[in-house]
Amino acid sequence: MIIIGEKINGAIPSVAKAIAEKNADFIRNLAKIQTDAGANFIDVCASTDVSLEVETLKWLIDLVQEVTDTPICIDSPNEQAIVAAIPFCKRPGLINSVSGEGNKIDVIFPIIADTKWECVALLNDDSGISKTAEKRLEVFTNIMKRAKEFGIAPSRLHIDPLVEMLCTSEDGINMIVDVMKEIKQQYPAIHITGGCSNVSFNLPSRKLVNQAFLVLAMNAGMDSGIIDPTNQDLLGMIFATEALMGQDEYCMEYIGAFRESKFGQKK
Amino acid sequence: MAKIDEVKAMVEAGKTKLVPGLVQEALDEGSAAKDILQGMVDSMSVVGDKFSTGEIFVPEMLMAAKAMAKGVDVLKPLMAGDSSNSLGTCIIGTVAGDLHDIGKNLVSMMIESAGFTMVDLGVDVPADRWIDAIKENQNVTLVACSGLLTTTMPALKEAVQTIKGSGLPGFKVIVGGAPVTQEFATEIGADGFAPDAGSAAVKAVELVKA
Repeated sequence: MIIIGEKINGAIPSVAKAIAEKNADFIRNLAKIQTDAGANFIDVCASTDVSLEVETLKWLIDLVQEVTDTPICIDSPNEQAIVAAIPFCKRPGLINSVSGEGNKIDVIFPIIADTKWECVALLNDDSGISKTAEKRLEVFTNIMKRAKEFGIAPSRLHIDPLVEMLCTSEDGINMIVDVMKEIKQQYPAIHITGGCSNVSFNLPSRKLVNQAFLVLAMNAGMDSGIIDPTNQDLLGMIFATEALMGQDEYCMEYIGAFRESKFGQKK
Repeated sequence: MAKIDEVKAMVEAGKTKLVPGLVQEALDEGSAAKDILQGMVDSMSVVGDKFSTGEIFVPEMLMAAKAMAKGVDVLKPLMAGDSSNSLGTCIIGTVAGDLHDIGKNLVSMMIESAGFTMVDLGVDVPADRWIDAIKENQNVTLVACSGLLTTTMPALKEAVQTIKGSGLPGFKVIVGGAPVTQEFATEIGADGFAPDAGSAAVKAVELVKA
């Protein structure tokens, strides 16, 4: 599982406060604890006013890079801010994100074409987020066509099929599971990603729903996730699921992670 | 660190990919095959002890056993025909009326990793089948009988007494399984007993070398 650590995001009140107060240690610590927990990328999202976004991203990225070599995931709904932030990164990381919307692909793909940067692509377009698997796969097909034009290999793409709230869904996550399976069938080397907490909005005991979703989504092909790697229950669930899926010979990864106290600690 | 110590450390850590190369390097350095084998056997007894005390888990022990088996593969051609370096053949099985084989298979892997050639008779092995196997195989030095049920303890007794009473020479008998105790093993005339797979491998070597 490719873990994209989600904790440095201005949408989180404590992080917004740290950004406003220029509390560098707070940000450095978030970078460090996520690295120690085994994050493969550190997501950095400013969630500030557009006029402040690029300078905020620079401040955050610099702080993260002071304490860890873990690659950055530049997270912004604004493709221009992403382009501006790429030079701040010491090494190729992950772009979060493009989609079939507007000219995001036209702006981002040419810049990352001949690099090692990876990219998250959401399955929505100018008509919004479709309710059907067919339409989402259509968006996917178009994204892949563009990726091919720019010579971006499927293995550099993380497709986010856009999981919606379970509480308003008529058939659980079945539609998304179909989308994931079809994508993996077409491109075995591609990554499928997503947030693991959106699914439980407006439900009690959200953690349980998030964990159950994670297991089912991994079984459907999700191999990348925007999660909190310091959440021991979630991390343990990832290792356990990988072992159950036959991706962990003799459970050595599971045991190793336990030995490193990544989960299973007495609270 | 001398190469042989590296071999030992990597066997303990269950590094199946690294051990064969290190064994070869130890040989190139001039270590004798039998010393390298002994080093690995020592490592396995450490691993067995750690397992017995609950410090490590079954898969970690299995990986160590696998790592050692890979190392033994490198040594085998050098030790072929030199029976003084090999611990001989071990006949293993689960006694009549008992179909359990998970524990028996685990013990088999561990004893094999300690340097024995294994002949596995499977499960539900009647008393006379043990005798045939001892006669059919070369250099049998150990017979390992497993019984997992309280109801098959009489079958374990029958097996051990048949084997011991056969008058065939040159081997020891070891028993094990959930309901088996040292007292019971002694009572039915077995030469040795071990409470788990890790200590079974250590005990096996001890019995054969005695």
